[in-house]
Parts: sequence; C-alpha cells; structure tokens
Amino acid sequence: MSAITGQALAARPAVSSRRSRRRRRDLAGLLYVAPALALVLVFFVLPLGTTVWMSLHNWPLLGLPRWIGLANYKALWNDKAFWRALGFTSYYTLFATIGLLGTGLALALFAQGTGRAVALYRTAFFLPVVIGFASASLLWAWLANVDSGLFPALFEALGLTSGRVNILATFDPAFWSVTVMVVWKMAGFYMVILMSGLQSIPADYTEAARIDGASALQRFRHITLPLIRRPFALALVLCVSGSMLAFDQFYIILAGGPQNQTVTAVYWIFNTSFVSFRLGYGAALSMVLLVILVALSVVQMWLLRDKEEAR
Amino acid sequence: MIIRHFARLGALAAAVSAFAPGAQADTFTLWARADSSTFMPKLVDAFNASQSGHKAELQIVPTNELVQKYAVAAAGGTAPDALSLDLIYTPSFAASGQLQDITDLAKSLPYFDQLSKAHLSVGTYGDRIYGLPFSADSSVLVWNKTLFREAGLDPDKGPTTWAEIRADAEKVDALGNGVDGFYFSGNCGGCNIFTFTPLIWASGGDIFNADGTEATIDTPQMRDALAFYQGMVKDGLVPAGSQTDTGSNFFAAFATGKIGISPSGAFAIGALNEQFPDLEYGVTFLPGKDGGSSSFAGGDNFVVSNGTDKMEAIKAFLDYAYSPEGQTLLARNGSLPVRADVAKEALAGLDERYLIAAEAMANGKTPYSVVFNDLINSANGPWISMLNKAFFGDEASIGPAVEEGQAAMQSIIDTAG
Repeated sequence: MSAITGQALAARPAVSSRRSRRRRRDLAGLLYVAPALALVLVFFVLPLGTTVWMSLHNWPLLGLPRWIGLANYKALWNDKAFWRALGFTSYYTLFATIGLLGTGLALALFAQGTGRAVALYRTAFFLPVVIGFASASLLWAWLANVDSGLFPALFEALGLTSGRVNILATFDPAFWSVTVMVVWKMAGFYMVILMSGLQSIPADYTEAARIDGASALQRFRHITLPLIRRPFALALVLCVSGSMLAFDQFYIILAGGPQNQTVTAVYWIFNTSFVSFRLGYGAALSMVLLVILVALSVVQMWLLRDKEEAR
Repeated sequence: MIIRHFARLGALAAAVSAFAPGAQADTFTLWARADSSTFMPKLVDAFNASQSGHKAELQIVPTNELVQKYAVAAAGGTAPDALSLDLIYTPSFAASGQLQDITDLAKSLPYFDQLSKAHLSVGTYGDRIYGLPFSADSSVLVWNKTLFREAGLDPDKGPTTWAEIRADAEKVDALGNGVDGFYFSGNCGGCNIFTFTPLIWASGGDIFNADGTEATIDTPQMRDALAFYQGMVKDGLVPAGSQTDTGSNFFAAFATGKIGISPSGAFAIGALNEQFPDLEYGVTFLPGKDGGSSSFAGGDNFVVSNGTDKMEAIKAFLDYAYSPEGQTLLARNGSLPVRADVAKEALAGLDERYLIAAEAMANGKTPYSVVFNDLINSANGPWISMLNKAFFGDEASIGPAVEEGQAAMQSIIDTAG
C-alpha cells in the first residue's frame, strides 16, 4: 500500500511532491502525538465537557437528570456555605504557600551543596513526599489524638498546656496542626524544584559578587532570587493550585471540624455530590472552582513573567 | 453438537418445570452492605441449599459505597434485582423512582402484621410499600459491671433515668486511674441519631413530624437532653477525645473496659462477646428523663429494583428469611429477628442480653426523611453541628445551637421538597 502511494507520489511534479511530503511529515507528526492527544481527549476534554453538561442539569445520584439551564449557577451565587468554604480555602492557601515555599527554599539552600551528608539530608527531606496524603493524614490524626496520641501528651509534659488538651477541638490549633503536617509532607517537593534553579546559577556570579564585597544577604537578594524566578514561578503555581484543591487532610484529620470551620471548597463539592447526591450542582461548583484556579494561575504567571522574554 | 446441547437444555428445563410447576427456576442478584457480611452469606447459602428452584447470588458492597455503587449500576441498567439497604435510605430511594412497589407481595405474607413496624414505617412511601424488614439492630445502654462493683454500685442494676446515669457515671469516674464515667462519640451524626434521639423520644419529644416534612428539634426535651450530656462533659465524666470522635471510637471506647456507661447498639453484644470475652457488662434500655425508654430501630430493609423479572425467586427468598429457620440463622449471626411471632424461638438459647435488645427493637422508632443523609449522617450536616456545639459549649450555647439547627434542617427539607 505504501509502496503504491510512494510510486504515485514520485510520478507527480516536484512542487506538489514537496508539498505532499510536508503534509506527510505533518501527518506522521500527528501520528506520533496521537496517543497523547487521545489521552488528553479521553481523560481531560471529555470529562470536562461532561461536567459542563451536568452542571446545566438537576442531576441526582438516583433518578433522572432534568435540564435546568443556568439555575445551578444562579443558586451557587447565594450559597453562603460554598463562599465560606472558598474563603477558608484561600486562608489555608495563603499560609500553606508561605510555609511550603519558605521551608522549601530554606531546605534547598541548605541541601544544594555536594557531599554524602547532603545527599542523605536531601533524601530525608524528600521522603515524606512519597507518602500518600491519606496515609500521612491518618498518621497525623493518631499523633494528635487526645487520648492515645503523642502530641497532647508531649505538650502536657513540656508544660505548654495545662493538662491534656484536645488540639483538634478548637480552630487555631487544629488548623495549624494540619498546615504543619502539609508543610512536613510537601516541603521536600518544592525543595527539589527550587534546588534545580539554585544549581543552575553559575558559581562565577556569586564569586564575582563576593569579590566586589556583596554580603550574603545582598547576594541572595540580587543574584539568587532573580535567577530562580522561573522554577519559583513553577513552584508557586503548583503550590497555590494544589492548596486550593486541598481535601484529604481536612476530611481525614478534622472531618471539616471543629464546627465546620475547616470545610474546603473541594470538600464542599464532595459533600454536595456524594452526601447530598446533587451531582449537577456539584458540577457547577467544580466549574466555578476551575475558573478561579485558571484565573489565579494566569495572574501568577503574569506577575512572575520574564521581563526579557516579554519584550 | 449445538442441537444436542439445546436438546439437553430443553430436557432440563422440562425436568425443572416438572418439579416446580408454575414457578421458573431463576437466579436473582442481591447486594448487601459489608456490615452484614456475617449473616448474609450464611443466609444465602442456606436458602440455596434449602431448595433447587431458585438461586440467590450475593454481592457484598463496602458500606460507605453502597448508595453510589447502586446509583451507578442503576444508571447503567445493571442494578441488582434486590438490595438489602440501610433502612433510613428507603424513603429517598423510593422517592427517586428506583424501587419496585412490593405492596402486594408484602400484604400476601400471612405474618405481615408481625413484621417490624419501624422498618415498615420507613419502607412506606406515598402509602405504598417499597421496603420489607430484613435485618435489625437496636440502640441500648451498656454498663461495665466490674467498674460498677469497684465503685460500690449494684453491678446488676443499670440506670433507668438520666439522673441515675449521671449519678452512676460520677461514682465510676471517681475511681480515677484513667477510668471515665460515660462515653459517647461527640462528633458523629450517625452514632447520635442512633443513641441520643431515643433519650428524647423516651421523654416525649421527636425530631421530625411523621412524614418528615417538618423538623421539630427545637423542643424542651431536646434542650434538656443536650444539657444532660453537656453537664457530664463539663464535669469531666467524658474523655476529652469524645469532642472530635467521628465514630471511630463508638464501639472501641467501651471495649477498653475503662468506661462506666455508654450508649451503644445490639451489634455490640455479639462483638463484645467475641472480641472481649473477659469484659463483664450489662445491657439496658435507653431511658427518658424521668423513666420510660426508647430505642432507634435500625438495620436493613429489603428492597427490589424497578423492572426486575425475578419476583418469584425474590418471594421465595423472603419466605425463607422470615421462616423460623431463617430468623434463627440471622439471630445467631449478629442481627435481631424482624418477625415478632418467631423472635422468641429464634433467640432461644442465646445470650440473655439479646432479649433486651430485641425488646428495645420492638418498641423502637425510626425517623422518616427523604434527606436523612444530608440532615443527619453528613459529618458537616445541621444535626451533628448542633449537637457538637451544644455538647461541648456552655449553657448559653444550647439555645442558639438548637435554633440554628432547626432552621438549617428545615431549609434543607424545604429545598429538597
């Protein structure tokens, strides 16, 4: 078959042959990316389309869906619980991002050198990343348990609290114990991203600056920071979108408590869809969250864009 | 070859129909939640062995995924013929049009009026019956006899009023050494509908009206019951972990042997006997404020998927499950009997404490709501939010918590209706 095509092509005039050769090359290229395209189509575009479609229906878990147009979107405008959840998610994202990127950068600076001990540290810092969020949360839930866990007993022994205090029962200690868990678990990941940036800075730059008498802080501020902007932007976008989608840790450790104060946006969507069985409304909430995430990511990319590249 | 095969099949069919005239030999599929994985397989095996006309094919589904799995299967046209469903879901399943109206089948059972009333009350939707009682679990109060003896209390006398619970819990708590007077799962909606509402029922209050269209939780009985628990929390009779226990310690706390009194369920009798044979405990009814008693009649309803053509087999299975033989098998494997006239026979020779649980079941109630999951079982629903706020707040917090809960529940009911 291809031999016949080849002969037929060869018989044609040169110009058309060149064009068809290019077309063939394009086709071959398309063929190469086809598996990836198919994956994106099946696992991203189709589900996204389905979600949009569902969000325009009253879609119960049991029973028949009914077309209601934009009613779900109108209803969510007045859904105080959703906006409260979104508010809490932003609050969490703020502190989680500061904690994660701050710790990640500190660890990266600490572990960027060479040597056997450094490799050991790097491995140790990165290890928690490979634990699933669910298992880490279960571990933490046990550590924070007031009757049988480690932390309340430890705090009591250290004299930080008078008597055993249930740290998961009030907002601030509960919130911070989850946030600290996330930082412990994920900081190693951001360390790796930021370290790749640090290691790509030529040693000459810092050397030259040192010879010119720049202090360590000045070198960090004027050489290191600008040169790791790109990996930093990547880390920031990943961190913010990851935190905005937080769910497991609050579901497993706190069940949204105390008093539903730690219900995140995804948690609320989960509740709407699989506790209240309102899949259509849950889909509409998901779409809103998606739009917010895309907007946030675009803003971050724009803020951290390379000035030279933009010109 | 094929022809021979068909011929043999034909002969077989003829033979079967000769044995069971009028009835067709068919296999029906049945789903049950993992909670019933002790008695369900045994019951199904016994049914299949008891006759050859019909066959039940059982599939056990994880408890928390049953509703979702069923919904997906129903949407794809592969729903099981029948399902043993947590009874509180029966109204919402019936309302969604997924279930077969089995009123005629139910009424044709000669012992219909002996079947658990509480199950049937939630199995009925719009005057038609969609669910029949299948397995049962009632809520009761358990107390630790060893600790009672150590505290100088009569180990054979359980408390019969709230004041007695409180007094006994205080005495046990005074033993110290890590022993606490009372335990309940303070952040678990499902646990508390099961064990806390009976305190209100027994005192004359209720949480919904009969058809579940109105929330009636703002009552003096509710406020009293909340104050009763709150008082015990404040005075340190309850371990601190209760405030954030979403149900994982519901059974385990009492099983440690360091809790004086705890509301629990019939399921605990079998579990305690099997896993903690050394624990000496008594079982009594959940009391009202000044006496009386009540219980949450829980368990499963047997429901049939819309459009199944296996009614013959399903009826045969139900007949077997309701027979003295079937009821005995259930009773011996962790479920209370659901048919009153054979209950005694089914429970004969079993731990006496089962009889108390069975009696509690007979006087039990089940709240009726098509949005039960939203209102009660949700970890973030209005029910547990109200309870948690009131249990662990101060006296002034009870009023606002109840009013807020009442409004939130009513708004969910109205939105769904």
